[in-house]
Amino acid sequence: MSSFGYLIKEGFKNLFNNRMMSLASIGVLVSCLVLTGSAVWLTVNVTNSVDSVSDSNVTKVFLDDDMDRLHAVAIGQDLLAVDHVTEVQFIEKDEAMEGYREQLGDEIFQNMTGKGNPFPYSYSITVDAETMQNVDQYDKVVEELKQVKLVRNGEELGGVASVNSHRELAQKLTTLSSLVTMMSFWIILALAVISLFIIANTIRMTMFSHRFEISIMKSVGATNTFVRIPFIIEGAVIGLISAIVSVGILYILSNVLIGAIKDILPFKLTSFTDIMWYVAGSFAAAGIVVGILGSLMSISRFLKREGNEILGW
Amino acid sequence: MIEFKNVSKVYSSNGAHALDNVTLSIAKGEFVFIVGASGAGKSTFLKLIMREEQPTSGSITVNDMFLERLPRRKVPYLRRTMGIVFQDFRLISKMTVYENVAFAMRCVGKKGSTIKKRVPYILDLVGLSDKANDHPNELSGGEQQRVSLARALVNNPSMIIADEPTGNVDPEMSYEIIELLSEINKRGTTVLVVTHEHDLVKSFGKRVINIESGRVVADSADEEYIAI
Repeated sequence: MSSFGYLIKEGFKNLFNNRMMSLASIGVLVSCLVLTGSAVWLTVNVTNSVDSVSDSNVTKVFLDDDMDRLHAVAIGQDLLAVDHVTEVQFIEKDEAMEGYREQLGDEIFQNMTGKGNPFPYSYSITVDAETMQNVDQYDKVVEELKQVKLVRNGEELGGVASVNSHRELAQKLTTLSSLVTMMSFWIILALAVISLFIIANTIRMTMFSHRFEISIMKSVGATNTFVRIPFIIEGAVIGLISAIVSVGILYILSNVLIGAIKDILPFKLTSFTDIMWYVAGSFAAAGIVVGILGSLMSISRFLKREGNEILGW
Repeated sequence: MIEFKNVSKVYSSNGAHALDNVTLSIAKGEFVFIVGASGAGKSTFLKLIMREEQPTSGSITVNDMFLERLPRRKVPYLRRTMGIVFQDFRLISKMTVYENVAFAMRCVGKKGSTIKKRVPYILDLVGLSDKANDHPNELSGGEQQRVSLARALVNNPSMIIADEPTGNVDPEMSYEIIELLSEINKRGTTVLVVTHEHDLVKSFGKRVINIESGRVVADSADEEYIAI
């Protein structure tokens, strides 16, 4: 067997011989990773819901239900003529339904295609940045939009039925999103540091239990790298196993949670499956890196000792 | 092979003068006994050779390596030129005799096929072929010390350093251990034995260096040497 193969085997052997401590480390590390994964999943969902509401930040104007398509398109010019409106975008009925279908799922919209589509024609209205910052001015624009009617040759051909603005909600959610992102960042950082010390401690205990072998290794001329490798492998494997277990737990938990609350939420949650592979990859990489760093932290100080010092004599 | 020039060692922790201006030379292929009372400086002398400690002053050359200039990362390569035998054997109890000896080869990156050839040869050399699958706790003190010697020899070092190798074995076995070291020396390996057993030393008629209070007080290689 090559030296490297031997060292890998030794790493796994350490893990097994020290199994109670290894299991304890994996347990704590899994808890940290599950919390981290939950924080990531929460952030993704808050960000997505903010994006969804932010889409509504572009003020929505709904036209009268009975307005035909030709008139609905024509009223666009009148909407654009309102002060501070910079852009108008016509939304077809099907397009509107599709938007809600993405948020609420397919089931509700099964029998609503074609003439059964209950959505009116609508517009996305963009106002200038100055108006967006000024509540009074914005409210004035909304009032003006509500008054818009399509009049041709003295005949009223329909108009704006309602104006929907989620501006304040969007602002609040944006603040919430920033808060969640910032909190998640600090939680993840704190958990990473905790994980690092847990692994370092486990490896330190393994090293302590192997101090006799280490003293012999050094006396026969083993390099520090040779002494280190099994411990680094042990740390990396602890990290990797923890990553796999925690992704599995997150997968199950998220499915249970989505199943329980999907009907009461006004928007569709991003499933953990959608981000699972990114999380799994990041966890595996982070687990391995934390494992390696934790091992190096414990080994370096230990390897500076010589002879009987290693044995504590 | 080993050269000490005006070497002194003072431990900063307690200020003890372990070695005081020691100058000596041990040539390749020699068999040397280092004798002296407990605390005389014998262990420090060995630690300096193995580069476990650095001298406070003076210079040391071992196997053509200048130890004061030897970078830390090269120390393992210095140690590969020497085999160490400890008084307490330092065998790994969960490993068999074969595994204990093979472990020393693994540590320096030797291939499995080389290990398979070399270990049985060395075990035969120290007379332990039939004990290859035994664990250290199944062996007598003398046998354990021979395993320790086999481990020291397996990487084919140019020098064997034995620190009180007979300290934990009965007198008859002590004689056999030194006899075995003498045989190894005849094959060209330099042997350095630290001991306080004067009778044993006398019976082999080898070079004797006597250290007392950190100084070389007698060296049988000197012309004016008076036997202890």
